Amino acid sequence: MPSINLSGAQKNYGVNSANAVSNLDLEIRDGEFMCLLGPSGCGKTTTLRMIAGLENLSDGEIRIGERLVDSVRSGVFIPPEKREMGLVFQSYALWPHLTIERNTDFGLRLRKLPKAEREARVEKVMQALDIAKYRDRYPSQLSGGQQQRVALARMLAVNPGVLLLDEPLSNLDARLRLEMRAELKRIHKEFKTTIVFVTHDQWEAMTLATTIAVMNEGTLQQMGTPNDIYDRPANRFVAEFVGSPPINILTFGSSAASQLSLAAEAYLGARHPSLRGIGSVGIRPEAIGYSVKCEDVPAGGFSGEMTVTGVLPTGGSWILELRNDSDTLFLTTNALPRVETGSKVSFFAPPEALHVFDKGGQRLTEADALLRKNTLN
Amino acid sequence: MLRSKGKSMALLSETAKAATLPDVATTPTAWQRWRYRAKVASREPTTLIGVLTALLFTYLIVVPIISIVLDSVRVQFGHERRLGKDFGELTLYYLDRAFLSPVSVDLFWRPLLNTLSVALGAISLSLVIGTVLAWLISRTDMFGRRWFATALIVPYMLPAWTFALAWTTLFKNRTVGGQPGWFEAMGLTPPDWVAYGRFPIIIILALHYTPFVILLFGSALRRFDSQLEDSARILGAKRYQVALQIILPLMRPALLSSMVLIFAKCLGEFGVPYVLGLPVKFEVLSTSLFRSIASRQTGVAGVVAASIMLIGIITLMIDARLVREARRFVTVGSKGSMNRQSRLGKYRLPATGFAALIFLLSVGLPLLTLFLSTIMKLPAQFTLDNFTLDYWIGRDLHTVALQTGVLLSPDLWAAAKNTLMIVGLASLTSGILGLLVGYVVIRTPVKALSVYLRQVTFLPYLVPGIAFAAAYLSLFAVPRGPMPALYGTVTILVLALIADQMPYASRAGISAMTQLGKDPEEAAQISGAGWFRRMFLIVIPIQKGSLVTGVLLPFISGIKGLSLFVILAVPSTDVLTTYSLRLVDYHYTQAANAVVLIIAAIAYLGTLAAQKLTKTNLAEGLGS
Repeated sequence: MPSINLSGAQKNYGVNSANAVSNLDLEIRDGEFMCLLGPSGCGKTTTLRMIAGLENLSDGEIRIGERLVDSVRSGVFIPPEKREMGLVFQSYALWPHLTIERNTDFGLRLRKLPKAEREARVEKVMQALDIAKYRDRYPSQLSGGQQQRVALARMLAVNPGVLLLDEPLSNLDARLRLEMRAELKRIHKEFKTTIVFVTHDQWEAMTLATTIAVMNEGTLQQMGTPNDIYDRPANRFVAEFVGSPPINILTFGSSAASQLSLAAEAYLGARHPSLRGIGSVGIRPEAIGYSVKCEDVPAGGFSGEMTVTGVLPTGGSWILELRNDSDTLFLTTNALPRVETGSKVSFFAPPEALHVFDKGGQRLTEADALLRKNTLN
Repeated sequence: MLRSKGKSMALLSETAKAATLPDVATTPTAWQRWRYRAKVASREPTTLIGVLTALLFTYLIVVPIISIVLDSVRVQFGHERRLGKDFGELTLYYLDRAFLSPVSVDLFWRPLLNTLSVALGAISLSLVIGTVLAWLISRTDMFGRRWFATALIVPYMLPAWTFALAWTTLFKNRTVGGQPGWFEAMGLTPPDWVAYGRFPIIIILALHYTPFVILLFGSALRRFDSQLEDSARILGAKRYQVALQIILPLMRPALLSSMVLIFAKCLGEFGVPYVLGLPVKFEVLSTSLFRSIASRQTGVAGVVAASIMLIGIITLMIDARLVREARRFVTVGSKGSMNRQSRLGKYRLPATGFAALIFLLSVGLPLLTLFLSTIMKLPAQFTLDNFTLDYWIGRDLHTVALQTGVLLSPDLWAAAKNTLMIVGLASLTSGILGLLVGYVVIRTPVKALSVYLRQVTFLPYLVPGIAFAAAYLSLFAVPRGPMPALYGTVTILVLALIADQMPYASRAGISAMTQLGKDPEEAAQISGAGWFRRMFLIVIPIQKGSLVTGVLLPFISGIKGLSLFVILAVPSTDVLTTYSLRLVDYHYTQAANAVVLIIAAIAYLGTLAAQKLTKTNLAEGLGS
């Protein structure tokens, strides 16, 4: 199974228009389940289509394994039909005039496999995806979830080295989505395919991927394991895009009136002089604890006193909205909060839960070590 | 782990560094870009097919039009001596003759005035009838609304001059020879102004084009959201205020658009003024053009044809503007849109009567008259011994020519065969070309090609058929380069028909390909299918339906079309329409009417069949 390598990949529609994808370096290793994650219009689908060959490049090159399949400067372009990939479209794109069996069989027929082998392979994927009983139906006679399975089966039948998925779950209802997620994980194991998966849904990315590549405005923001992305976001965009409810961000020096920002700035400055006057700090809601009594607050963390202005149950957990005159802070808790709106509480966050960003919004990696080291002391 | 240079600004992460690299140095050269794009474009034949079709249509559409425009400013064959110049030299003689000379009144100005007056009359009348009918059909509880919705469109499916022939059958007077009209035969001589000329032409064109108004205005009415009315009512507007201030302004684009389209159609209408105008020398632009061609005045014909084209192009550009304006009026919130019916109350029955009357006048009466005329020996004599089937299936009739009933006449079958072959071949070709054009327009990475193809195939739509036929005559009547002279051949008819039908065919192809979207084809591509396999395994099977319509619709309009054939056909290439016109000229009224009935039946049944096949209401597509 090959790896996929994009280097300096660029796409614009017309020389003067903005880049849909700019200067993208991406390596997708063999057997990986890679998620391209980002808001709509961030270039993730364009990237996927460039890999498939459905979109040509404006600059840069793409390699599959050792084979150069696309390069503007060397004038190489291998058309999609010769790239031996699978792609599941967001719309599924089943061929309406062919039965489910013929849809599944299509790629195998093109490869001129002997009939017996074709039948065996079609049977195997149809069984694996539980669509064998619909073999003689037409796509319009199936539900969305079933069509989705056919779209997958059609691509898996030819056993592609790389399977590309373009938001395949976005048209399904919540329950089907959950089932299909499990299904995809199983397929990834069973067929040992390299999967590249495009989604704007962070939950999907977190639960499925072995590696996540976060994109925004055509550029790669961060690439890493789901835990990396969540625990060590490379910049403010990643920090704010991933996580729900979103991370609390306190920006320094932007508005003098923000008491919480001033307090955080003072706290960081006290930890280490080099952290004084730095851009901003983020704290995830679940990393913040609270207590009704001041004396229960653990020492050494970032803490303060605020008023509870909202208790929002989300089923099994709660979101607390805290306010002072200038700031709003969200925290989540899994224990039933025994506080009333209007009452005062103390919040606290351990130093290692603070994500420090410079003025350009990039993560200050040095700060992590500093904050952790100081905690150990 | 703070490094020595540990100022905060130096603490950039990897991605930030990459982003700040200068872009300029890394752009590929123009040559590299071009080579890569050529590589992408050349890997499949889409672009090649696009270039070939673009060349074909340049030859079939653009070149004839240029040729006839040039005819109007160059010395034509036979005029060398009079003008003292060589054949082909530049001259203003024809422009002068058509626009300024003493004969210009007969050649151009009076026909222009007549065209305008006929068009305006037809537009006003069809607007009055059409808007009322459209409202009754789409917004009231009139009896039989659904039935009327289809029935009132039928006049448009029939050839316009069907009505002209029915009219002469009824109102013909002694001005013209041959069998007298029914009123004449009953002793009531209709005056010339009733029998011929402006008045009947206006009535007939109005009845023929009323379906336009019903379709365009009706669909605008149906889309109109009743909640807009309700909001005004709730704010205290009276019924008439709602009608004047809300409904009318929003309907204006649809009304203007149907006016403009009717005008464009009237401009090219040939059969009706030919049958009804000629006896009293009432000429419109199209008949004037025909006369110039028939008398070999190719230079003047060029001027008149170019003028018709110019008026047609201006008109349809106005329409395009109106459509754009109409788009501004597309009201938001289609989700909650409601179409509430008005209750007619005590007017319910009279309203239904009105619709029924219009149907009778525009469909029932003409067809019945035509049919009766073909089975009666003497006009308007309703006795049993006067009825006969001789004109259909008789033998050994005592006439100079056509001694058998029309169904037994070999001429009819020859014409039918020609029609089927010429129109069939042209429709099949234009249907396939239309799908190809649609494919290329949507898929080619070369944008200029897509734009050019879209526009060049639309061009004939702007040019009335008769002017287009004149253009073909001008280009292909004499041998040019490797092309032999095509006049009198089947080829010229087929080529002209293909070009004439391309606007509809390419539009159908483009919209079919737009609807299909890229996904099914791309999925096949990913599965390993090259261009030809994708074409034959995916695109064509999915587009089967629209391909059939793309062939059938041009076929129907080709069968009832007259203006192209009347200029380009000769007796050996007679089609049904020109055959019936020839019979009219020879005053074989019954036979002519019988042929027209056959054409009407084919056109009507063909439309129904297309409707069934595509499971859509084609009547709604005819308006565009």
